Amino acid sequence: MSKIIRVDEITRVEGYGSIEVEIGSSEVLGVKMNISEGPRFFESLVKTVKYDKVPDIMRRICAICTATHTLASITAIEKAFKVDVTPQTRNLRDLLIHGEMIESHALHLYFLALPDILGYPDAVAMTDKYMEQVKMALQLKKAGNMIHNTLGGREVHGMNERVGGFASLPTDDTLLKIKTALVDSRPTAELAVKLFSEVEIPTYAKSENNLMALDTGKRFGFIGNYILTSQAGRYPAEEYLQLTNEKTFKHSNAKFSTFQGKPFVVGALSRMFLNGSKLEGAAAELYRENYDRLDSNNILTNNLAQAIELLHSVDRSIQIIDELVSTGIQEEGLAEFEIQSSRGVGTIEAPRGILYHDYTFDEEGKITKANVITPTAQNVANMEKDYRVAAGRLIKEPDYKIRETLEIIARAYDPCISCSVHLVKCP
Amino acid sequence: MKSNYKPKIGIFGLTGCGGDQLTILNMEDDLIELLGNFELVQFQMGSSRRGNSILDIALVEGSVSTKTDLQRLKEIREKATYLVAIGNCSIDGCLQAGMSGENSIKVSVKEVYGEEAKFDSEFLDAKGAVDYVPVDFKIPGCPIEKKEILQALTSMLHGDFPQEFTYPVCVECKLNEYPCLITEKGESCLGPIIRGGCNARCPGLGVDCIGCRGPPLDNVNISKEFKLLLEEGYNNEYVMNRLRMFSGNTEARSRIKKLLEESE
Repeated sequence: MSKIIRVDEITRVEGYGSIEVEIGSSEVLGVKMNISEGPRFFESLVKTVKYDKVPDIMRRICAICTATHTLASITAIEKAFKVDVTPQTRNLRDLLIHGEMIESHALHLYFLALPDILGYPDAVAMTDKYMEQVKMALQLKKAGNMIHNTLGGREVHGMNERVGGFASLPTDDTLLKIKTALVDSRPTAELAVKLFSEVEIPTYAKSENNLMALDTGKRFGFIGNYILTSQAGRYPAEEYLQLTNEKTFKHSNAKFSTFQGKPFVVGALSRMFLNGSKLEGAAAELYRENYDRLDSNNILTNNLAQAIELLHSVDRSIQIIDELVSTGIQEEGLAEFEIQSSRGVGTIEAPRGILYHDYTFDEEGKITKANVITPTAQNVANMEKDYRVAAGRLIKEPDYKIRETLEIIARAYDPCISCSVHLVKCP
Repeated sequence: MKSNYKPKIGIFGLTGCGGDQLTILNMEDDLIELLGNFELVQFQMGSSRRGNSILDIALVEGSVSTKTDLQRLKEIREKATYLVAIGNCSIDGCLQAGMSGENSIKVSVKEVYGEEAKFDSEFLDAKGAVDYVPVDFKIPGCPIEKKEILQALTSMLHGDFPQEFTYPVCVECKLNEYPCLITEKGESCLGPIIRGGCNARCPGLGVDCIGCRGPPLDNVNISKEFKLLLEEGYNNEYVMNRLRMFSGNTEARSRIKKLLEESE
């Protein structure tokens, strides 16, 4: 006799997916993560499109990681055409990604994950007892969105980030307003670390995880051209296909990734373990303080890793703004370059892990081939591993308990289902 | 509606980027107060509530791209007194409909997932909700503007629908006295033919309008825009790719196709 336990619609995540676990009398017989959103075929939509409008299409793969998609897209184009951008552009892009982390992590921690811990269906219901905290969390999220708004031109699907730089540059005044908002919201970021370090973290999903994150150089950040793996060293971005060996399965509209035959995790937890020693200031202290709580083999500690990153991004954003304002924003146009028939791979850490955009252009600068691999698509195989482990350990528990657990595990990955679904063409 | 009655609202997502639900979550200053006026029955991105009651208002984002999408849409329509399509995906299918060219869904599946891929859910050619069920109001955009959704919900609380924008982005650009990107900079701006309501957001930053508020308006001269851009030195394919980006699965898209055929 076997039974199927099903989570029909994982809520408080971005996108539409479900989980199915088949349980026999004493063991788990099967697990499926169904990604049931329809595909949107971005790799094929973008064919024949000239490079200048490619980021405008590609940023629309996902709303929550819109700036990351945009920058991965722009980076791929700039690598293909060998575009050199100014240090100011690099700083502003760095700030933009920190803004995305703040917005996305604040949303995930306070609005999507915290209700599980406090036993509420959502943050709106939490206002009965925690009105003040919910409002503070909204303001922290807003501070991240102010960065999006200023540098991207809009919170969701901006337009201001271009190949070669930014169409319009922020004024010192606007940057200082963002700084004020960040300083005001900093205690809320600290509170997130406190909250997620104090909760008891269940161990039902604990199992060996292989990790992957970008090598971000000397500093803890989200931009880099090399991939670090916990299994087998460091790889240049251009060799990503070896790392993300993908397969399709009938039950899912996303492709599943494995590396050396094993699933792996990308995201905050992996970044914390592979780059954590590069953290500075308060985030570095909290990282050391929480070192024993963070467990690379327990995805449920991912929220704590996100909280530490959240504080890091607030502090780094303030620093970058101070640097930009002290030198003064230089009016500079977009970098010049020559279009050529070539290929480029852009890699950025999205809030949920490594994102790859790989484009090939003809001599007129039109796309002939595109490949995008999103973090959630990379995580799906590992998510299934964790469902299997947890369901096995909770096999005697009532169905509702197992169902709840599966949903909490899914949410810990902070999955972005729209992202994972448009998918990938294997060469 | 009775004065102390809170209308029941559900917020749903079909196939898309989630950007319209996220725009609602991004209303940091108004969200709590706004939702306080409603009884929140479901909000897929923001809540675990799985209420199954009748709805006064259903907001639906995303295109119908699978049979599951279609089934969910029909269920929502049945439950809801007013169905509001939020964002281009649910109005006309957005990029996944507009940019899909002549490829049938089967060809795209093979191209993106490979020959041997097989799936459980049945795919449909991307279309808006509007193609399948009656929709009471549409809020355009990729994504929607916060101000517009706020206005729509407040109007609906008072038993009314807000006014639709019927003039192009170009009008708002002129009102703001931004320099014309076409005539002064030779950019391929679509402002003259695309629905306004964004206060010419992109031209204000010096970026040409890509048309993210939907297909060209009915009352504009698409062929003149087409010719203008060709005169500026853009080729047929480039202009075509620009025009079809947000034209979705609409009448305007067939008009654009015809234009291209005539010019070749």
